[in-house]
Amino acid sequence: MAANAIDQTRRMLSLVTYLRERPGAHVADVARAFGITEDELISDLDVLPMCGTSFRGGDLLDIDTDGDRIWWRNPGALGAEAAEPLRIAADEATALLVAARAVATLPGLREGDRQALLRATAKLEAAAGEAAGASSRLSVTFESEGGVFADVDRAISERRRLWVRYYSPARDELTEREVDPIRLFAVGHTYMEAWCRLSEARRTFRLDRVAEIRLLDEPAAPPELELRDLSEGLVQPAAEDPEVVVEVGPGGRWVAEYYPHDSAEELADGGLRITLRTPEPASLRRLALRLGRDGRIVAPDELAESARSAALAALAAYEEPSAQDGQS
Amino acid sequence: MAIAKAERLMNLALCLLGTRRPLSKRELRGSIEAYLEAGSDDAFNRMFERDKDDLRELGLVIETVENLDGETGYLARRDSNRLPPVQLDAEEAAALGLAARVWQQARLAGAASGALQKLRAAGMPEADNPYEHSAIEPRIPVHEAAFEPLMLACRDRRPVVFEYRKATAARPGTRHVEPWTLECWRGHWYLAGWDRDRGAERVFRLSRITGKVRSRAGAFTAPVPDVVTVRETVESWAGETATRSARIRLRAGSGYPLRSRATSTRELGDGWDELEIPYGHGLDAWLVEFGPDVVVLEPADLRADVVDRLRAVAKG
Repeated sequence: MAANAIDQTRRMLSLVTYLRERPGAHVADVARAFGITEDELISDLDVLPMCGTSFRGGDLLDIDTDGDRIWWRNPGALGAEAAEPLRIAADEATALLVAARAVATLPGLREGDRQALLRATAKLEAAAGEAAGASSRLSVTFESEGGVFADVDRAISERRRLWVRYYSPARDELTEREVDPIRLFAVGHTYMEAWCRLSEARRTFRLDRVAEIRLLDEPAAPPELELRDLSEGLVQPAAEDPEVVVEVGPGGRWVAEYYPHDSAEELADGGLRITLRTPEPASLRRLALRLGRDGRIVAPDELAESARSAALAALAAYEEPSAQDGQS
Repeated sequence: MAIAKAERLMNLALCLLGTRRPLSKRELRGSIEAYLEAGSDDAFNRMFERDKDDLRELGLVIETVENLDGETGYLARRDSNRLPPVQLDAEEAAALGLAARVWQQARLAGAASGALQKLRAAGMPEADNPYEHSAIEPRIPVHEAAFEPLMLACRDRRPVVFEYRKATAARPGTRHVEPWTLECWRGHWYLAGWDRDRGAERVFRLSRITGKVRSRAGAFTAPVPDVVTVRETVESWAGETATRSARIRLRAGSGYPLRSRATSTRELGDGWDELEIPYGHGLDAWLVEFGPDVVVLEPADLRADVVDRLRAVAKG
């Protein structure tokens, strides 16, 4: 079932042009060419026989399928011109051009692919004509660390293991580990999904936190894994993760923008009471320190206490005379 | 059973594309089953107007022509609706296929696939799976409800009004804006435009827009600049445009991100290093995150800010 009548109409108009040139086309091939499921295609084929230009005498499209191949028995019904490819709409040009320009900014894109993309973009701009104009009102830049990206990319294509020195902000430490890369993806930042041989688990690494990287000679041997569905968001806390409650004032509302959370309750002073879950509450000590007077940890107690004692220890250094040098 | 909307739209499109002379509403109503079933004239008129808008939304150029009897007729001329010749090879097709998959927003994802389908119908060769060509799987996240109305307002150059909560403000305030461009930077969307109340260019973060974005009648009052610098503005919020430098002591082995930005690093030998780092907006909050592993030496104002923040945390 098509989610959206406009998308389905748009698709059926192209389908009519496509099928006209290909009598007896296979359902599977057409679905793949159109980037849709066979069920979606079949539902289009159910609608098309109800369509036509009946003001000219009642010719409906005689299109049918046996589930394997598609036959159009009266391709003359539309007249020679009525099945010509349609121009690109402004929204279509915008969607495709903005995405193409964004992908072309990926430093890790293979050079051949980038060249093909740039050629295709220029042709599309020309074909879309005026409709391409509005695409300048939207832009997307991906970020990625060029050198690290190139090494990960190479490791994936050569199926090789990687050694990385990786920074974990939660613990403020660099760890060395060997990983078997699975894929690269970009959602704002660029990430590598990999099987981490240190933790024996799937891990996601943000490329700008890779301090050092080396290709190893060993082949990568990640276990067979189902790829995570990234549309659900990168951070997917588990139900059994411990709960953390943070109360922030108006100046700490940004926490709700940056941390996936279960709930954010409005407080009378314009602040928020945010409940979130994390496998490692200690990793939020940084947040507690950062918030200063703009917020505090309500629960768990150990986390609140560790932020307090870290602040006290830090303050002690400012009272030592040795730390006073540099002060005029 | 009511006739599906896609069927009705498709019939209207085929009628308008297939005719050489303008068709009147009366003729169209007599030709399309869904319109015959529409019941009252009012219901039909409403449906017809909406359908025409929908077809225009998907790119159809529909002309309105008045005939000699003063009756309005409609047609979609072939020459204004035909795709100009475009030749794409398999590699180019694969590249566009990858690009079309990056949107995580229904409207843009639909529009991007629609463009590909038109190109496919026009003979664009089949690509192999684009993922076999490239190792990267880029995704453009769009979680903000304000995105779609603002995208349309930017496209149509329509002024908007929305409630906006500044990062540190308790209550949102009403902003009247002439929207210019939307930009996605580090996974977040920003709007640049003319803030009518402030009489100046402003950048807004979409996640801070609360409630609905409403359109306003009328045209833009301020000229739209050729180049809009969203990123520079956002970077200065994030403290990346440092104008001064700071001297800190950092415990050996800790604070890698500080080290990677340092302009100079000196080992002190007692388990501490001394670093010179760029000092921009927000550095105090960042340094506090490192707790007892960082001691600010100078400048004095930064040192005071950090101590101040630490005291607030110590009080709990």
